[in-house]
Amino acid sequence: MIPELGHIILITHLILCLIGGTMPLLAEYTGLKIFQIPIKKLSVFLFLLISISFLSLVYSFLVDDFSVAYVAQNSNINLPDYYKFAATWGAHEGSLVLWILAMNAWIVGFLFFTHAKDRDFLASVFSISCQVMFAFSLFTLFTSNPFERILPIPPLNGADLNPSLQDFAFTVHPPLLYFGYSGLLIPFAIAVSAMLFSKETKEWAAYSRPWTLFSCSFLTLGIGLGSWWAYYELGWGGWWFWDPVENAAFVPWLLSVALFHSLITSQNRGIFGKWSILLSIFAFATSLLGTFLVRSGILTSVHAFALDPERGLFILGILAFFIIGSLMIYSIKDFEHGEDKAYALTSKEFGFLLNNLLLVVLAVSILFGTIFPLIYEAVTNGKQISVGAPYFEIILFPFAIGLGLLQGVALYLSWEKSTSFDFVSRLLIESTSIFALIVLVLFVLFDNLYLNSFATIFLASWIAVGTLQVSKKRNLGYWDFLRKRLSVTLAHLGMAILVLGVGVVSSYSLEKEIILAPDDSIKFGDQVVKFESIEDSLGPNYFSKKAVISFDDGKDVSNLITEKRTYSPSGQLTTEAGIETEIFKDLYISMGDNLEDDIWSFKIQIKPFIRWIWLGALLISLGSFLAGIKQIRRLA
Amino acid sequence: MKKIIDVLPLAIFIGLVVVLFSFLSEKDDQLETVLIDSSFPEFSLKALSDDSRILSKDDISDLPALINVWATWCIACRVEHPFLMKLKEESILKIYGLNYKDDKNKALELLKRDGNPFEFSIYDFEGRLAIDLGVYGAPETFFIDKRGVIRERHVGVIDEKVWETKFAKYLDE
Repeated sequence: MIPELGHIILITHLILCLIGGTMPLLAEYTGLKIFQIPIKKLSVFLFLLISISFLSLVYSFLVDDFSVAYVAQNSNINLPDYYKFAATWGAHEGSLVLWILAMNAWIVGFLFFTHAKDRDFLASVFSISCQVMFAFSLFTLFTSNPFERILPIPPLNGADLNPSLQDFAFTVHPPLLYFGYSGLLIPFAIAVSAMLFSKETKEWAAYSRPWTLFSCSFLTLGIGLGSWWAYYELGWGGWWFWDPVENAAFVPWLLSVALFHSLITSQNRGIFGKWSILLSIFAFATSLLGTFLVRSGILTSVHAFALDPERGLFILGILAFFIIGSLMIYSIKDFEHGEDKAYALTSKEFGFLLNNLLLVVLAVSILFGTIFPLIYEAVTNGKQISVGAPYFEIILFPFAIGLGLLQGVALYLSWEKSTSFDFVSRLLIESTSIFALIVLVLFVLFDNLYLNSFATIFLASWIAVGTLQVSKKRNLGYWDFLRKRLSVTLAHLGMAILVLGVGVVSSYSLEKEIILAPDDSIKFGDQVVKFESIEDSLGPNYFSKKAVISFDDGKDVSNLITEKRTYSPSGQLTTEAGIETEIFKDLYISMGDNLEDDIWSFKIQIKPFIRWIWLGALLISLGSFLAGIKQIRRLA
Repeated sequence: MKKIIDVLPLAIFIGLVVVLFSFLSEKDDQLETVLIDSSFPEFSLKALSDDSRILSKDDISDLPALINVWATWCIACRVEHPFLMKLKEESILKIYGLNYKDDKNKALELLKRDGNPFEFSIYDFEGRLAIDLGVYGAPETFFIDKRGVIRERHVGVIDEKVWETKFAKYLDE
């Protein structure tokens, strides 16, 4: 009964979305009162519906209702309850319901926290959002219905949730990402409505900014968690793989960052209006494009979803309908040209322009690298090529340098024209000193210097000093100033920490493949690595080989446990890495193959400063979230 | 001049959609045409029921026949199981199983409990033959005609409807 209830409610949601998607626009263009509907109430009602639908799916998982095909495919009677709950969004069908739920949540948030006098404008934003939700609900019901039953003979036990997803980070990572992706719906709907209503740039940019910031915040957190998960779960010790799915999230992230910076200019100066509209459209487009690439099966990646060309076609249809539609409005719309305001090369405006240019070109290059294998395959009649980390790293490097240098000076710039450049010498001196200090610390810690890390370390110091010293420009106390600008300080400082982490981990890391029998030991850097013991153990839904390996650096001994698990329902193997975390480095070991008897191969690694990458991401996410809240308060 | 710039994003985006669409339809074709009208690949694998019996292509002798890729971990396979049993009971054609990446004991137990529609099952634990066949996952069903040529392939559950629309026509040839 419950799955049917969820199914019927999802259909109701679909129909109401159609009403919400058309009525307000009809009311606007016909002027007839009949079509006016209470949008706030409807948005909340829609949210209740989609929540109930989602909860009934959760319920089916919790009670092991394996007559529901989706539950049978992604859960198992022996799966711990917490993972049964998380399995709801563990695969394609359920994640779509969550996605719609997230979009709906954003719409409710937007309507309740945006204090616009122009009710028709809000109604239009609501209406466009409903249209997108309608398309997603249609997609879910017709190609990926999670409530479909297996009748007449339901299976007894269920196939199981993909074992590598049975993990804390991975249960939280998808919802955060979905909230991030779906949040970009709001700037998109605002941009389209702004065109339809010929809204003044300053006004609509103010409405759009907080929601872009929130999206960016969730995307950052989601991507960061995904990276952390990949690090300890996939057993390679890497934190970023330039996998198509990662790129599919990275591109909208870059565009959302570009967008909120551009919106700052639009809101304060009334310029870059057309550009902000285009960015809003394309940020949303790339978030849909990512979904398309991942779930149509045209690109292969570590993120395996059930693949189905029909689904790909449907998503492509949604993408084409909304993006072509909005770009058509863009191309025929007459924009007012009275906005051109002069600004100097030393102005804040120009800084934002440069920031946007770098971010957008970078995003396009990454998107190109992601799709290029497809183009190559088509042009050469089926020859396959993979564009991997080397391409992306070569591309990223100059942009990172440019963006970092810009970020260091950005906060000093003034609107129209910056007059004083006293800060430059001070910035140079202080960041060079910090740079020297960091290099010294690294030398003491790791007994080594790597020239190729100098550029990134300097960049990190430059950004950090540029962020923390900026108060000297104004006549405010240091701490007062930082408190006032807490959000931007946190976010920019987070970027400095992230850059430092990336720089150090990519040059100071050590790794080695070793073969050990129990009681064997081997020297690795300043550590002596010893294979202490191996034993069989039993988990709730898997059995495993557990190896204990000790790392001895002469002062402390740490015991790391790494596992090879065989999940019983599916027979899938996973490797659990053993990780010991310290402030400045991680010790990392993952189990390889069983060569004979108790002789195993292992991969051991030392990863300095790797935690700093995620700490940086966390601060960026927090900073953008606070910035969003601040913006909402300011508008209230 | 200003207008052309305004249309540019639209043009670029339409171009992108067209390119993606062409990839999509291409992928679709590839799935359908791979191995169709070519003869069944050679293999040498153990039988599920008997470790000492090595099966090869020549053992699939009673043609035309279906090759059904199945496993105990595959829920959809249990859905199509009764239909396969029906094909066997009505002696419509022979069915050969390809047991795919499975636990041998569980597989044998399932056949004992629910009935065995297969003449024999090839035990493909490592998925070797499955790779040669380009198997996507389980269940999957191939139709082999009298000459030993693969004529049709179906990914997913096979039931009355799939049988009628996709496979039955080859039986009359």
